[in-house]
Amino acid sequence: MKKMKLFLGPQHPGMHGNASVHLYVDGDIIKESYLLPGMLHRGFEKQMERKLWVNNIALIPRVCVPEPDINEMSFAMATEKLLKLEVPERAHWIRMIMLEFARISAHLMAYGGLGGPTGNYTIMYHAHADRNRILEIFEKISGARVYHQYIVTGGVRKDLPEDIEEDIIELISDLESRLDEYRDIGIDNASIVKRIKDTILLPEEVVWDLGVTGIGMRSATNKPYDVRKITPYARYDQVEFEVPVSDYSDARSRLDIKLKEVQQSINIIRQSLDKMPEGPVRVKPGRGQSMRWTVPKGYVYAPVESSRGEFGYYMVSNGGTTPWRVGVRGASYPQGLLGIEKYMPGTRIDDAALWVDTMGVCSPEIDR
Amino acid sequence: MTNFTSNIKTVDQIIEKTRVEVLLKDEIDNYQVAYEINKADIHTTLSSLKKEGWIQLSYLSAIDWPDENKMELIYLLFNWETPVYIQIRSKIDREHPEVASIIQIYPGAKYYEREAHEFFGIHFPGNPDYEKQLILENWDDIPPLRKDFDPRAYSDKKFPSREYPDQFSEKDPKNKKREKLEARDIRANKLRSGGEKQ
Repeated sequence: MKKMKLFLGPQHPGMHGNASVHLYVDGDIIKESYLLPGMLHRGFEKQMERKLWVNNIALIPRVCVPEPDINEMSFAMATEKLLKLEVPERAHWIRMIMLEFARISAHLMAYGGLGGPTGNYTIMYHAHADRNRILEIFEKISGARVYHQYIVTGGVRKDLPEDIEEDIIELISDLESRLDEYRDIGIDNASIVKRIKDTILLPEEVVWDLGVTGIGMRSATNKPYDVRKITPYARYDQVEFEVPVSDYSDARSRLDIKLKEVQQSINIIRQSLDKMPEGPVRVKPGRGQSMRWTVPKGYVYAPVESSRGEFGYYMVSNGGTTPWRVGVRGASYPQGLLGIEKYMPGTRIDDAALWVDTMGVCSPEIDR
Repeated sequence: MTNFTSNIKTVDQIIEKTRVEVLLKDEIDNYQVAYEINKADIHTTLSSLKKEGWIQLSYLSAIDWPDENKMELIYLLFNWETPVYIQIRSKIDREHPEVASIIQIYPGAKYYEREAHEFFGIHFPGNPDYEKQLILENWDDIPPLRKDFDPRAYSDKKFPSREYPDQFSEKDPKNKKREKLEARDIRANKLRSGGEKQ
């Protein structure tokens, strides 16, 4: 039979952002596949070199749309390392609350993404409704729903509003009580369990071959390799949380780990609210003018754990008012490009969207 | 795992064992260390580090230094058991940037090298498709992340500004908005040059 060329995307409910996958199929089995990135390329790395350090804070959250806070955190960490700046204690805890909410919202979005390719849209409606409530918390804290620009160099932009703790506790308690329901309508739902169980496998040797990090790696290797545990940043070394793992990585076990991580994030938020001290939340970088501050010379990499794996900014400063070079290490780079080329062939066409969703591919991260 | 100094010492010992000439060493923090080495030593260093457990290539890219007429390559490695990020940096010639590919050591470098070729023009012999286009479609200028590439000049050249007939524009003498706009321009220019001294 003749091979036929098909496009997946650029718009698809299973895809975060626009990137298409070229599929060469025989029947409904994929024989060859390539990611076609570039539809979201906006030249971020070049633009950042031409903007002030302060200006860049407004630009960086756009690098990954579903989870913008990790960009802010990584950028802030990199500049603080170069400036040798001590962040106030309270700011660390507020940052952790923001990052964990961002993780929950990204996981809910990815879990809801299961609805598109399997036709079970109930999951998507539930997940997006809950995500919306998290965005409302973000709006109360930072004034913006999606791009918060809240974590800045030297701390966070402003202190938490007064009555936010009650809202946060109400939301996380409600979310926690509904996690079992998510399990029932999603990964334990008999109508779709055949689609996700024992399909889209990720064997351990493939993980090392590709360099996949995050949930993909933890689900296949049974090792708790999480940047938050291994090289702790903020105050992750002072909270108790588990890193869920498994030794068999199919679509279902990866989604299962996502739900378990939501539970762990909720625990971290609770502990952060308890342990958070009072005090200032921001220090000024204090070199040069208030807006045109400079950063000492140096090369630094600042890794954080995103919902898809290790994410970081490689930053080079020449001592000027703008960065000399900013490189973005997208967490979905290995599985998105090399993974789709080498390991997607063999799956069925209808599983391709599930592949992209459960492996955690965020296309703006690849393009940037 | 929490003994930071011994972790960095371990890395030092491994680098010493390879007998590679270290041009510069920089300890960034407890979890990160940087070495600058010669171009010829890249493969020896990376493969011996991989044997010792630095199995993950986190990032590969380049930095342009036009003043020194050099291009700097950066390889970022990580080991999950001994948590130290290692930056391996090496400066190469800017006129003919060429480095042998490392996909034999780290298969994940394939696409990073393609991207580095597209954005910096570095050649990676050994990588079968480093010259294929990845992100930029039909690019017709010098690689865009080089410092001498000016996005504004490129855009003016590539997309010439349109000429509009006068009656649709603010240049139209009958347009009453025109005076307002001119006054605004003058005011903005004054502010830009630091305001007017009274």
